[in-house]
Amino acid sequence: MANNRGFWASVFLALLLRLVLIFFSKKLNLGSRPEIATPLTSLRRLAEGYWLKQSSMSPYAGSMYHGSPLLLSILGPLTVQSVEVQTNHIKCSLMFVIADFITAMLIRATGQKLQLAYSQSLRSLDLLKLLETSKIVTAGDVAALVYLWNPLTIVTCVGSATSPIENLMVVLSLYGACSRIAPLAAFGWVVATHLSLYPAILIVPVILLLGYGSDSPPKKLFCLRNSSTSGSDPSNYSHDQSSGVTSQPGLPIHSFTWKPVVHFILWASIWSFYVLILCSISLNQYGGLYEMFQKTHGFILTVEDLSPNIGVLWYFFAEVFDFFRIFFLIVFHVNILFMLLPLAIRLNHRPFFLAFVYVAISSMLKSYPSVGDTALYLGLLGLFVNELADMHFSFFLFCGYVGVGLLSPVMHNLWIWRGTGNANFYFATAIAYALLQIILVVESVGAMLNHDRMLRKHLST
Amino acid sequence: MENPSNTNENPNSTTSSSSTEKRKPRLIVRLGIFLISHSTIVSLLCCVAGFLSLLILPILAKNTYISENALMPGSANPMFSGQDVLEANKMVKEILGLGFGSEESRMEIPRLIARHIVDSGAEVYYHKFHSEINQFHPLNFFSDIAYTEFIHDNNSCSSTGVNTVGIIRAPRGDGKEAIVLVTPYNSGKIELSDALSLGLGYSIFSLLSKVTWLAKDIVWLAAESRYGEYASVSAWLRDYHNPVFFRSSGKLQVDTCLVDHVHHERQDSQVRGRTSDVFRRSGTMAAALVFKIVDKQEEAEKDTLSIHAEASNGQMPNLDLINIVHYLAVHRQGLRVKVETAFSLLHSAWLRVVGEMLEWVSIMAGNLNPQWRFGIPAADYVEGTATLASSMYYQALGVPTGSHGAFRDYQIDAITLEISPKISLKNEIAHSTFLLRGGRLIEGVVRSVNNLLEKFHQSFFLYFLTSPNKFVSVGVYMIGFALLVSPLPVLAAALYSGIKLGNTDKGNQTPSINSHSNMGLAVRSWRWLHAAKVVFVIHLWGVIVLLLPHLINQLPQRTSETSMLTWTVLSIFILVILYQISGAPHSHSGNVTPTQYQSADWVILKAVTVASAAIGLGLMSIINFAAAQIGAMFLVPMCLIVHPLKHMGQMKVLKAVLLLTCNLALAILGFPPATLFILKVSSEGLGGLSLGDFWDWMESLWAWNSATYLYLVLVHLPCWVLCIHILLHPL
Repeated sequence: MANNRGFWASVFLALLLRLVLIFFSKKLNLGSRPEIATPLTSLRRLAEGYWLKQSSMSPYAGSMYHGSPLLLSILGPLTVQSVEVQTNHIKCSLMFVIADFITAMLIRATGQKLQLAYSQSLRSLDLLKLLETSKIVTAGDVAALVYLWNPLTIVTCVGSATSPIENLMVVLSLYGACSRIAPLAAFGWVVATHLSLYPAILIVPVILLLGYGSDSPPKKLFCLRNSSTSGSDPSNYSHDQSSGVTSQPGLPIHSFTWKPVVHFILWASIWSFYVLILCSISLNQYGGLYEMFQKTHGFILTVEDLSPNIGVLWYFFAEVFDFFRIFFLIVFHVNILFMLLPLAIRLNHRPFFLAFVYVAISSMLKSYPSVGDTALYLGLLGLFVNELADMHFSFFLFCGYVGVGLLSPVMHNLWIWRGTGNANFYFATAIAYALLQIILVVESVGAMLNHDRMLRKHLST
Repeated sequence: MENPSNTNENPNSTTSSSSTEKRKPRLIVRLGIFLISHSTIVSLLCCVAGFLSLLILPILAKNTYISENALMPGSANPMFSGQDVLEANKMVKEILGLGFGSEESRMEIPRLIARHIVDSGAEVYYHKFHSEINQFHPLNFFSDIAYTEFIHDNNSCSSTGVNTVGIIRAPRGDGKEAIVLVTPYNSGKIELSDALSLGLGYSIFSLLSKVTWLAKDIVWLAAESRYGEYASVSAWLRDYHNPVFFRSSGKLQVDTCLVDHVHHERQDSQVRGRTSDVFRRSGTMAAALVFKIVDKQEEAEKDTLSIHAEASNGQMPNLDLINIVHYLAVHRQGLRVKVETAFSLLHSAWLRVVGEMLEWVSIMAGNLNPQWRFGIPAADYVEGTATLASSMYYQALGVPTGSHGAFRDYQIDAITLEISPKISLKNEIAHSTFLLRGGRLIEGVVRSVNNLLEKFHQSFFLYFLTSPNKFVSVGVYMIGFALLVSPLPVLAAALYSGIKLGNTDKGNQTPSINSHSNMGLAVRSWRWLHAAKVVFVIHLWGVIVLLLPHLINQLPQRTSETSMLTWTVLSIFILVILYQISGAPHSHSGNVTPTQYQSADWVILKAVTVASAAIGLGLMSIINFAAAQIGAMFLVPMCLIVHPLKHMGQMKVLKAVLLLTCNLALAILGFPPATLFILKVSSEGLGGLSLGDFWDWMESLWAWNSATYLYLVLVHLPCWVLCIHILLHPL
């Protein structure tokens, strides 16, 4: 109970801190930092798009705005700065604070579901002593707090980039999949894809989540367990499982169920149809849907804006010869796709962890990354705090993230404002950052597989 | 199932240890393991090498050379002649002939200058500004200073100044680039030197308005320095770079203030035609020269030119600019060029001993093989070190050494030239030749910069000067710093991995592992989290301490002593509160973790502290290298050697005493106020010592938005507190 109160106090403090910082946001001027606002998420660009639309021009004119027309209708009125109404800016920031809060709550709820499934699968494996001897941390609370207190989340929120909304949609989709609400999962997935394209790859973990249920130890372990304890009695095995299914809906289900997946696909098509209709209504006097796709998803895929950001693509495409450009565009984007299948095969028993890995990889390789993406996958990482207790290099990674996070703005300042550095200085931090992310992904996947191995050892001894 | 927690403890380590027997790990891994396992000796070696490399920097200094070919200094004959000197002298007489003292006469000099500028056929306007009181804006550190909006306070009319600006449009240029000449003068109390500066400035300006070779516009700013040279120049630069579209209230006020002066000016029919208050601009500034004439201060056999170059936060202008000035001054005009030197070091005995030792080593090496001779004479060494020390000091302070500092905020290379004659200025015949030299020097520099096709980029931006024609570049001095700081990550890794190894060993040895498993799954590899929390809390405290002066500044009737006291008391109070809130770092570890981990507690805290110090120093070395270098000299030994006092009791007596004295000495030295007091006492004696000194010093740092202030409060002070925390650790 005391713990719970502490949790809510921390949540409240985190939100309060945001509100306090929002009052200084004009002075902090975070919205113009390249680390926080990308061409896709910058609120200033959104304001420009809204202004264009108000003066009955296409919001995509002049390559300023590249976001969704729906965001324009929701957030646009709040970006209008006028002398009389000073509160618009605060209202707009409040939206992001609320989005952060909902995201954290969804992460918490997801964490509770995952933890329930985890302890139930351990119970069904007769590894209860593992639960007793080890101090299990409530992963949902940890993850929610990690998300809320992460400085990267805070600066994204205060800097008024639209990433909190994208993150909310991604988490919404994962939450929906975890709790097997197909319409919710489909909605989150469709909107997230519509907003930033990369969450499209989350369809794999979402389908796995809907089909198999949430994370559990590998299926082999269950077979092993059943063969060792009651191998002679196959009826016992089926009884075990069926009773589990009937008594607790969160129990690991080992066969792929098609029903929720079909629901999901149905709902996804309904939602995407709906979103497209809304977009076309919003854009019908201007370029229509074709222009929208060209200026949003096309802009993401062709990496048109080469202004510096924390990713590695801008530097590369600024250097590459023009006739190789298309080739390398394909290479870079296929890079993400190549990793999908092997990871899905290896981690198919842990679809939620798979989702985390996908989010981390896409935030590393996407064309306009921002710290908001990092904030999302670090928050999701918190959900696996029990499984990843043995992760290597955690201290090194922590120091690395802190160091790079501080170094990057300094290098940017040295290059842009002082003129004593050059682009290589800033790009060096981007490379270091990418390296850290790679180490994080590799180490977390390694730790997760080791965790499975450990369970197996417990079972076999 | 005999040893469950051992297997769950670290399955990977068992697999990896079995695999190490089969195949060797990669070279880089082995190298890392080697470094970490010998961390003590490695850190000692690196640290000593870091200190030594600082001492040999004057020997490693290279001669400067002009890197940009386009500059071609001194390739043309100077056109500045006796005629121009006569003009300058005429102007000086006119200025000195004006009446001074009353407020009425304040516009006299600008008007006089404007009239002359109009006569020479150039454009002119007055720039009116408020003197900004340097205030501490804590959030300005994080935004771009040059582009923030400055709010004009309700200053009284008396604190407005008037700069007079003349612009020559280049006959061969497209008006996109400009060279700025600045002559500061104090309108409140015009002295001969001020008048001479203005006269020289005007004569050069009128010469340049006649020449045909100009490809860049010339902007001459006669800056009224009644409220400080820096204030007037920076106000003009701000208005130059930030066009005001809507006249703000502050602007209007300046105009109403000066309405009577403007009224006067209207009567001046000759000037009125071409003077205006409209702010005129030229192109981007390629370089700026601030020059002023000062009366002679010391005996010298030649006219002397002293160069000041340090801008805010240790930024320097491109070395090429200093090079051309030095080249023209020495080889064309025969001036003696000097840069700032730490005079106290010039007579220091131990420095001379070091210099002689190095010279001896170099001669010895030279006897073996003439090519190995590396040293310089001991006298040169001492002088080089003194200059280097002052160069480092001014860069580390982060406070600009003159009005050229204002230009650097806009990425414009600028230096201040202070020209002083060998005989006193009173002698009129002598100062004509002196003016001739000065004029030719500045004309030569302008002509050289005029040749430039791009902005200065060829030569160095990051360097220390050891004499006017010798420098140490970033590639050299960075090595010393890297050596000094590299023990920190090595030690952090060693301490951290030592903890992990120690635990697994114990886990293997202890037959009953129940106590071990109590640790819980989630704590094993994340055990540093608690230490990180402590470090974070202390750094948070640092942020609060950083912002406190903003509040203290608003207290009424404060002296620097009371401010200092308030600051200290509030800081300690907040520290205590934070300790309470964060659950008393010491006690927390005691009741949760089993006994075998308590001894490890301070080790892991030290690891995190050392890592945070390494990050902080690394960051600072990029923002302001000199500050990081000086800070590292205090911080690194302190962090490396810190050891809990209680733990020392268990050691051998000699070792314990040695460790104790080292720890205490470094802990005292590492505390910034204590350092300042020790320095003051050693330089001035106990006499003028007061509590407020530190406050005044800090106030000057934040008033100039120096990053050194940030470093001191956000990196140095928290690390010091953490070190004290470790020293007093109850084990």
